[in-house]
Amino acid sequence: MAAGKNLSLFRDKPVKVLLAKPGIDGHDRGMFVLAKAFRDAGMDVLYAGLLPTPEEVVDTAINEDVDVIALSLLNGAHLVVFKKVADLMKKRGIDDIAIVGGGTIPDADRPKLEKLGITGNYGPGTPLKTIIDHIMMRAEEARSRKLGIA
Amino acid sequence: MKQTAEEIADGIRAGNIRSISRAITLVEDNNSLITGREIIKSIYKSTGNAGIIGITGPPGVGKSTIIGNLSSMIRASGKKVAVIAIDASSPFTNGSFLGNRIRMQDKLYRDGIYMRSLSSRGSSGGLSRSTWDAVRILDAAGYERIIVETVGAGQADLDILGMAHTIAVALAPGLGDEIQAIKAGLMEIASIFIINKMDRDGAFMAMKDIEDSLALTPQNEWKIPVVGLNSITLEGYEELMAAIENHLSYVRKSALNAKKRFFHEVKAALMAESELRINALTEKSMSGLTDLESDVRNKVDPYTVAEEISKSVLGDIA
Amino acid sequence: MVEPSSFWSEKLKKLEERDKSGDPQYKKWKTEVLDLWNHGSEGKEFTNSSGIPIKELYVPGDLDGDLNERVGFPGTFPFTRGIYPDMYRGRLWTMRMFSGFGTPEDTNRRLKYLIQHGESGLSIAFDMPTLYGYDCSNERAEGEVGKCGVNVSTLKDMEVLFDGIDLGKVSTSMTINAPAIVLLAMYMAVAKKQGVPLDRISGTVQADILKEYIAQKEWIFPPEVHLRMIRDMMVFCTENAPRWNYISISGYHIREAGASAVQELAFTLADGFHYVEMGLNAGLSVDAFAPRLSFFFNSSINFFEEIAKMRAARRIWATVLKEKYGARNQRSMMLKFHTQTSGYTLTWQQPLNNIIRTTIEAMAGVLGGTQSLHTNSYDEAWALPSEKAVKVALRTQQIIAEESGIADTVDPLGGSYYVEWLTDEMERQAYSYFDRIEKAGGILNAIKIGYIQKEIANTSYKRQLRIEEGKEIMVGVNKYAEENEPPIKILRISKKAQLSQRKRLSDVLASRDQDKVRRSLERLEDAMKDESINLMPYMIDAVESYATIEEISNIGRRLYGGWKEPVIV
Repeated sequence: MAAGKNLSLFRDKPVKVLLAKPGIDGHDRGMFVLAKAFRDAGMDVLYAGLLPTPEEVVDTAINEDVDVIALSLLNGAHLVVFKKVADLMKKRGIDDIAIVGGGTIPDADRPKLEKLGITGNYGPGTPLKTIIDHIMMRAEEARSRKLGIA
Repeated sequence: MKQTAEEIADGIRAGNIRSISRAITLVEDNNSLITGREIIKSIYKSTGNAGIIGITGPPGVGKSTIIGNLSSMIRASGKKVAVIAIDASSPFTNGSFLGNRIRMQDKLYRDGIYMRSLSSRGSSGGLSRSTWDAVRILDAAGYERIIVETVGAGQADLDILGMAHTIAVALAPGLGDEIQAIKAGLMEIASIFIINKMDRDGAFMAMKDIEDSLALTPQNEWKIPVVGLNSITLEGYEELMAAIENHLSYVRKSALNAKKRFFHEVKAALMAESELRINALTEKSMSGLTDLESDVRNKVDPYTVAEEISKSVLGDIA
Repeated sequence: MVEPSSFWSEKLKKLEERDKSGDPQYKKWKTEVLDLWNHGSEGKEFTNSSGIPIKELYVPGDLDGDLNERVGFPGTFPFTRGIYPDMYRGRLWTMRMFSGFGTPEDTNRRLKYLIQHGESGLSIAFDMPTLYGYDCSNERAEGEVGKCGVNVSTLKDMEVLFDGIDLGKVSTSMTINAPAIVLLAMYMAVAKKQGVPLDRISGTVQADILKEYIAQKEWIFPPEVHLRMIRDMMVFCTENAPRWNYISISGYHIREAGASAVQELAFTLADGFHYVEMGLNAGLSVDAFAPRLSFFFNSSINFFEEIAKMRAARRIWATVLKEKYGARNQRSMMLKFHTQTSGYTLTWQQPLNNIIRTTIEAMAGVLGGTQSLHTNSYDEAWALPSEKAVKVALRTQQIIAEESGIADTVDPLGGSYYVEWLTDEMERQAYSYFDRIEKAGGILNAIKIGYIQKEIANTSYKRQLRIEEGKEIMVGVNKYAEENEPPIKILRISKKAQLSQRKRLSDVLASRDQDKVRRSLERLEDAMKDESINLMPYMIDAVESYATIEEISNIGRRLYGGWKEPVIV
């Protein structure tokens, strides 16, 4: 399903995205830029705050039934920490919340993250539009599954 | 996760978080194949146990902090607590930053409090309906106290607050003239007044101000208390909790109140029905419009056009 | 109600009184030459990070008469041209490359490598668990140990870190904030073991907690607790370690978080003024401690803006220390600072381009009169610097110092119409911010209500939109971009660091005197409860008994909890 094709899907209830830095990383400039950009793109944005644990991130995502969890880390710990989030989601049997990654992620690590179902993995300098389009695409998949239409 | 409405309803009754969360999504979204309505129909019998507390007040007053502290304390007293927070959407982009959660983030996971953020996009009627339904879901799931936080004191908020048993209006010193403007409406709906930031200058005057206004307003059986809170030292919270519990039992005792509530619920449901049908009608009509050209040429006014269309589709209803 | 005029509003009034009637010769040139030229600058926007519109030309008429007084001479008030009379002719700036990763052994090796290649000051980076006061064994440290700096959990790690390095002969800067007092205590303990007296140790702990709340977000406790610890370091070092800089009041991070140059200037100095007031409230006389306050600025890519910022910073600090805080000693008025080239400006695309960016930014730092300089490595948008890249970064400084000639005279850009005008303008805007901050209840309150953070987030978002719209160019990113770039070799931190650190920690825990630790932690806790007690001796005592950084930090967590920032978006 191409991004933007199915916007009526979000007519009543916008894309709901949770922005989180699940590790020990306080660099939140990108988070605020993304939060504003996502909101200006019509999404409902949640921010997990500073230093949430992976458990707290997953708890929030499930309680709020978000469409997408957008994870970002700039401290090099993404393989370990993103995996923790993905594993927790799997353990709780959630298959209709998408996980998108970002941060300082070397090319070599991308396939490993994608194997865990974490897509995107955008580095600094990626245009906002690219990120938003990707989030929309994954949100469509997730929402369709939630609503039982996929 | 492919589930039937009944499976979700069973999950709700069992207090399963995933079912609760999913159900709230389904009542928010009209696109779902399993409608929220089916779920509500199934669980409605299990509702009626929760005490519903509305918290409102102007921005900057500290509602989120109050709710964070309050919900923790209620939880500590042994009751299951849920919070529904409503954030304003941008009127331009329809997106919103659901920021209320951050204030309470550390307590939510630690104390096992369920929180859900709703954005106020679209018609206020729609928000009102989804909030009611979300409350019912949480009620049926066994949450004994459900706190609903609203943005301000507009019409949409009053609709939402209408479903609460107890409404606490929070104010803070330094809001000055803004209070006067909102006071009229707030005086009517408040069950409890909260003055937050009691450590600030002007707090005692703010309290006095409300107390004086209350003295002038005719009050019924329930004497509206004014509670001063210091959200840092937690002074006043015990008093607030007691006031809430007192009011909850006062209101829920009354059979007349129960009837009134159901009346409101039906009215709201009827409005939702009507809105659905009207939306469907409008869409159907607009898509069936063919002969607009001649109306434009002849400068026919929109009302006449609309009347003709609706007559042809609805017949002579009203 | 007539508001009492404040120091800031008085200053602003004076600055705005400057004659800005313009230069008649310029007007003549503009109408007779420039406007007839029209070679394409129509419709283009020329501005900098602070949003200041830049004219096509600056002339003497852009500056008013008393320029001499406010520019003056280097080494004299108001120090606009430099804090020392001879600046780099006497002694070059310190080449201090921020380093640290993995285990203390790894970092020790890197430090010795840099010393061997000509670095003159040490600078240590710590990993996230250390920065936040967690031991390497903590569950939250999983995957983070040694990743973005060296891991230090106990004094044993510090001993290994400085093994073979004489603390009496080096100057060490430690980039640590929330647990700064703990790391300082460890450094002092290592010095003690080496037989170096405290009054000989030289270096810095960053410690500036206000900028953490504003920008870097590495705090543990509520502000008052951290500020008390800074006060304790300030008093203890003033009395016992006079060569130690117990704070590095930082703008670097504020800038990296998205602030403009003027915001960096204003918020950093506002923080500085707060620390001055703290010292005064602690009973010290301003001249007793102000000479030790040092600063840390960013050097970003808009060349002249950065230079003007640094000159304005010196002038403002000198003026305010003298006129508001009553400093008499010249050294109290001298703003000393370290500079780091901007990490934000580095791109992962076409990484070699970063060498040029760093060079430009380093030159700005030198022309701005910095006392020490760190240059980023070209691969840092990808990972921590590799050995090869960090050497190039160091050589950059050496080439500037030895070959370019820009250090041969003091403040070569002094007198440039553009630079002096820009210095004045940034000074004026900074005072405007000081006034606003005072109206917001002072810098600490402004932080608590989120005013400072929101200013930064807004500037950052606006900038991002400009980049997306192509109004601001990043070469290789939104212009001259290339598809399919070849990957570069980057530094990888192996998991071994975590394993070996955890092993060392458990060895230390097993072999230390448990009673001694317990007692020292109890004494520390009692001291923490009493605000009038100086914690420094208790911290030294605790680290010497091999208490861990987390054990020590947990005392504060237990007593005072954490701090939640307000909603910024």
